Amino acid sequence: MEFENYNLFGNWSLEIGIFEHMPYILNTENDIKEMLRVIGAQNLDDLYKHLPSKIRLSGELNIPEGLSEQEVKQSVRNLAGKNKPLDSFNSFLGAGLYDHYIPSALAPLISRAEFLTAYTPYQAECSQGILQAIYEYQSYICLLTGMDVSNASLFDGASSLAESVLMSLRITKRNKVIISSAINPEYKKTLYTYLSGFNFKIQEIDFNTQGSTNIDSLKQILDENTACFALQSPSFFGIIEDTEKFSSLAKEKGVLTILVTNPISLCLLKEPGNCGVDIVCGDGQVLGGSISLGGPSFGFLATKNEFLRQMPGRLVGKTVDRENKTAYCLTLQAREQHIKREKATSNICSNQSLNAIQSAIYLSLMGKDGLTKCALYSLNLAHYFYEHLKEVEKIKLNFSQNFFNEFIWQVDDARAVVKKLYKEKIIAGLTIDDSYPGLKNGILSCCTETKTKEQIDDFIETLKNILK
Amino acid sequence: MDNRLIFEKSDSGRKASYIKKPEISLREPKEILPENYLRSNLEFPSLGELEVVRHYTNLSKRNFSLDTNFYPLGSCTMKYNPKINEELSSLEGFLNIHPYQNEACLQGALELIYNLEKLLSEITGMPRFSFQASSGAQGELTGMLMVRKYHKIMKNRKRKVIVPDSSHGTNPATSSMCGYETVVVESNKDGLIDLDKLNKAVDAETAAIMLTNPNTLGLFEENILDVAEIIHRNGGLLYYDGANFNPLLGITTPRLMGFDVIHLNLHKTFSTPHGCGGPGAGAVGVVDKLSDFLPAPVIDKKKNKFYFNYKIKHSIGKVRAFYGNFSVLVRAYAYLLRLGREGVVRVAQNATLNANYIREKLKDDYNVASNKPSMHEVVFSCTKQKEKGAPAFDIAKRLIDYGMHPPTMYFPLIVKEALMVEPTETESRKTLDYFVESMLKINNEITENAQMLHDTPHTTPVKRVDEVRAARNPDLRWHPNK
Repeated sequence: MEFENYNLFGNWSLEIGIFEHMPYILNTENDIKEMLRVIGAQNLDDLYKHLPSKIRLSGELNIPEGLSEQEVKQSVRNLAGKNKPLDSFNSFLGAGLYDHYIPSALAPLISRAEFLTAYTPYQAECSQGILQAIYEYQSYICLLTGMDVSNASLFDGASSLAESVLMSLRITKRNKVIISSAINPEYKKTLYTYLSGFNFKIQEIDFNTQGSTNIDSLKQILDENTACFALQSPSFFGIIEDTEKFSSLAKEKGVLTILVTNPISLCLLKEPGNCGVDIVCGDGQVLGGSISLGGPSFGFLATKNEFLRQMPGRLVGKTVDRENKTAYCLTLQAREQHIKREKATSNICSNQSLNAIQSAIYLSLMGKDGLTKCALYSLNLAHYFYEHLKEVEKIKLNFSQNFFNEFIWQVDDARAVVKKLYKEKIIAGLTIDDSYPGLKNGILSCCTETKTKEQIDDFIETLKNILK
Repeated sequence: MDNRLIFEKSDSGRKASYIKKPEISLREPKEILPENYLRSNLEFPSLGELEVVRHYTNLSKRNFSLDTNFYPLGSCTMKYNPKINEELSSLEGFLNIHPYQNEACLQGALELIYNLEKLLSEITGMPRFSFQASSGAQGELTGMLMVRKYHKIMKNRKRKVIVPDSSHGTNPATSSMCGYETVVVESNKDGLIDLDKLNKAVDAETAAIMLTNPNTLGLFEENILDVAEIIHRNGGLLYYDGANFNPLLGITTPRLMGFDVIHLNLHKTFSTPHGCGGPGAGAVGVVDKLSDFLPAPVIDKKKNKFYFNYKIKHSIGKVRAFYGNFSVLVRAYAYLLRLGREGVVRVAQNATLNANYIREKLKDDYNVASNKPSMHEVVFSCTKQKEKGAPAFDIAKRLIDYGMHPPTMYFPLIVKEALMVEPTETESRKTLDYFVESMLKINNEITENAQMLHDTPHTTPVKRVDEVRAARNPDLRWHPNK
């Protein structure tokens, strides 16, 4: 390569062909000469002459030479080709990320450069489209959850739970947190990390033999120091919890109820706002997002009006312009880090706006009818699967049948069974004994509307053969 | 133009038919679940596909974006987002993989993350990285929780974090989220860290300093090695907020500057799109002594196989579910492959060149916030213009009429009437000249008729928006019965 002999940080001039590889840079050699002249610099390195020489890199970075677009494409495609995507299997894997059908109209809309390449809509007048889209997103989340207000998105489900708990601690000024152990283990880990800078006490309560969170355990430890009780429904085990019972118990002690939920399930299930819940949060991947190794998705957070000022994250509000025309803008920014600094409700700045807008478009495309079907078919297929698993010898189904789209089943030597199924191109689900040692040989399997009767029947047949 | 909300365009007769009906006998939800678990109604709109397409296409057109307008939003590094990165991040082999598939199914993804880590390690001097954080601020939280745990394990009694008064708001906010008291150190008259004041503020209880370099005035902290020495001498650590790393690619590294833990905003320096505010990615890098504290897992390689390594002795845990914003990582990786070792230096140089060019062309008409040389961005203090009757706010809004997104305004907080201009390396001299001309024109307009500027912008779909009213009477959602 011709650059190798060339002393990058010395007194190089412009004449030695250095502009051969400058992808994405528009300045030509003439431009650079002229601009340097305007600035009064001899060469580009002059721009750095005030940096202490001790910290200057003494040679070139040891990274590969730049590639043509053609070569980059080939190289990255090769890596993609080394993965085995879900659709090369008959997959029943969910556990927090779900494979739903995505209408084809979604990708071209959300890929529009005007959305993709804009930033946070600080300047309302030239960002009305983004602001309205986010306002619609906030409205959708409120309609789904039955809550009063939603923010403009957080990072993901796990951090939205952590932010919800922090919010409850600010609201109540108490110092104890109780969570159900049937919350997604990834979310629990994230919560512990987020709280690790403080001296708050976190207690987990167990689940009963039916797999439901144990309300008696909650009764025992709920007290006036408790800020919140966090529950997931459908739980990590897929079970729909009796949220109202928990929230009314919590309320007796002035404890806030936080609910982690799956927004697709809410197309059928009662709105958390009608179950006494104070803060609803969760992950939005299911609303038109790809699985993509788990990111990016987005986190949502919705609450009651009375807690509005303690909410983290951006908010879009409706207002008017100086001609009294409807307009939108970012609002209540006095909660946020760029104004309040160390006293802000959160440090969040960038969020996951594009994913949130994507979910609004998804919800609009699917519409009331499409979403109801999506949830209904998922529910039915998962229960069909369950009923047929029941008939398989050696399979144990000990947990409640009140599940949405996934459930736990047990079989001796589960990991070996999962391996054998994998050889038959079936991904059975997630073995969960790492996170729940008490649920030895437990497998968490899910069905969404993307599964077919044939695929489920095939799974059952294959399983029967393996267990013979 | 029809500016109604999507909810107001609904027609209850419409039905979607995107998904197939399963070939099993369907039961009503109440036949499967207790009735008191079910909702009675879903107040969602029903629309045809064309209506939805038109609605969101029209919304998209009511915005400025990088692909349509010059977007010199300081501190945000609005550089061109190469299209090939979009194509590659949408490959089926990346989109449709589940983090709980076995590692044999994910080798390509793991290799990509592994390679990206190697590239960033070389570029920053930090031997290990975590890619869990979804943004710069979450990167800060990750890094500072590592700092906290490090001090805990080392049995260091620490309770304070130092930030300069020019710092990003996320720095003090992060410090609070880590349970630290924030100590603000005033900058000197040049806008740089005041070493005397720093010396007075730092003591044995100082856990860390959080710094961005170049700082938010676009200036290189020339005394960075002295800062490092002061902090380290007191047993503290240096946190590098990499929001402004763009002009230093291939020039220096955070490691050489003395930093211990850093984050890089992949959506700034490494060209991934900003998406109306996200998703981004905060890659967190650390020196060896902190690598035992990284979030779990990291990606390692054994016998030519890539795997998730959860064995991290003092790991802080997780800051989000799964492994981070993977498709953002794909884009950053493709970008770095394309640039290569020459390309990254060109980025830094041209970013710095472009900012200094604007500075030079405008410095006689707009005050520059500091006499020190600028790096990738230049901060103007529009006090002269304010005296003439038009604050920075008006200038920013007037730029919209000239077809440009305004610079960051009123930040950093220590500069009066600040406009922070970051052109990035991907803009042409012609674009910079147009910006300069427009700024000069605006300066004349202020002299002639400052009132006209109060009414700007004139050319946008809505005129100046009443933000005070929005905050006073929050209307944050549509209501079905309104």
